[in-house]
Amino acid sequence: MGSGARGDSERPITLAAAASLRSALPDLVKAFQDASGRPSIQVSYGASDALRKQVEAGAPIDAVLFAAPDDVDALIAEGLADASTRRVIATNRLVLIGPRDGPALRFATLGSLPAAARVAIGDPRSVPAGRYAEHALRALGSWEALAPRFVFGADVAGVLAIVRRGEADAGVVYETDARGIPDVRVLDRATGAWAPHVELVAAVIPGNGGAEAARRFLDFVVSPRGRAGLAEHGFGPPADAAP
Amino acid sequence: MSTGAGFPIALSLRVAALAVALIGPPGLALAWLQARRRYPGRTLVDALVLLPLVLPPTVVGYFLVVLFGRRGPIGRALEALFDARVVFTPAAAVIASAVVALPLLVKTAQPAIEAVPDELEEVGRSLGLGPASLFARVTLPAAWQGVTAAMVLAFARAVGEFGATLMFAGNVPGRTNTMPLELYAAWQAGDDARALLYVGVLSALSLAVVLLAPRLAPRAGAA
Repeated sequence: MGSGARGDSERPITLAAAASLRSALPDLVKAFQDASGRPSIQVSYGASDALRKQVEAGAPIDAVLFAAPDDVDALIAEGLADASTRRVIATNRLVLIGPRDGPALRFATLGSLPAAARVAIGDPRSVPAGRYAEHALRALGSWEALAPRFVFGADVAGVLAIVRRGEADAGVVYETDARGIPDVRVLDRATGAWAPHVELVAAVIPGNGGAEAARRFLDFVVSPRGRAGLAEHGFGPPADAAP
Repeated sequence: MSTGAGFPIALSLRVAALAVALIGPPGLALAWLQARRRYPGRTLVDALVLLPLVLPPTVVGYFLVVLFGRRGPIGRALEALFDARVVFTPAAAVIASAVVALPLLVKTAQPAIEAVPDELEEVGRSLGLGPASLFARVTLPAAWQGVTAAMVLAFARAVGEFGATLMFAGNVPGRTNTMPLELYAAWQAGDDARALLYVGVLSALSLAVVLLAPRLAPRAGAA
């Protein structure tokens, strides 16, 4: 990493990151700043689709770190993201969560919930976690039966908020999001043939002045040190780097 | 998972109609009270009626969730007594719309009722009419234009309710996805055609209301 020119090293860079990285990224940013002496990195968190739209609208963003490949690949297809910098930075897993005092459920038994029960997921039209959840529940054959019970969150944080307050009997989020949330418990983990492969994908957005520095930051994220930082927060290694 | 594009339109109109029906009787009673009576605490009641108009809708939504949520006092009682949940139901959408529409209803109806000459009500009273029938048969017919304007404005505000609805009624496809929520979801998903549909319907509705309401409002000296 970091053999490139340091000509732009004083310019602050801006990252657009999936809400699910909110726990892990600050430590990585700090470690990178300590190592490189770079003064300023700003991170804007949100649902990947919304962030993608900001990039498309010309927001001064130097790199995107999204919860799913599709939004990054769309930016590459539009010529906004640099395909040569695209990399899988980590993997994640879907979990089924419920309020502390709620019923014990599993992904496979969700279809048997009573009609009045509510299941919170991200809106599949705009939230990658919601699309992954749709993927999983369709593979399990319970999507259609559950449809009247869904309540859509605008992002993963919205799903957590609904479940924490006990307003939904279950919710689907990433494993890393459920860590350390006191009022919810993890009821089930998505493993098996039906479970979606959740990949976090990053790429550099050239043309906003921080491309070279952003590329070095992404190099750092996939370096052993960066991976260790992500693993500390529950993220898995990319498939190609798996032991 | 397909809820047609027409569903949010029908749902919004239904929710707003029910919200206006819900606040109509108490709202008009309140407007009459504020127009006709001087009593201790009247200023406080005035302020409380106006509050939802000034409060950010998300604050209204927060209060509603705290009260009606499964761990809130009203929500817990409803679940214990009737096994009923309010949050994330169409009923929640109606309640959220009703709360934010109430100030417009009361504050528009009140001057219309004030404009009805006292003597008219005196005559009614001398004929032996009770308070309810006096209101229904004397005050309301005389103030019908202003009261209708109040209803129309309240309906428009109810149709447009977003913040409190999102927090309290949620985005439950096929149940609580009113036009404003669907517009926001479509925009987030980049579905501009669908967003534009609801932009069009809501804009047309609002335009109709602002054109209609002033024609109904009482003009000076008209009563």
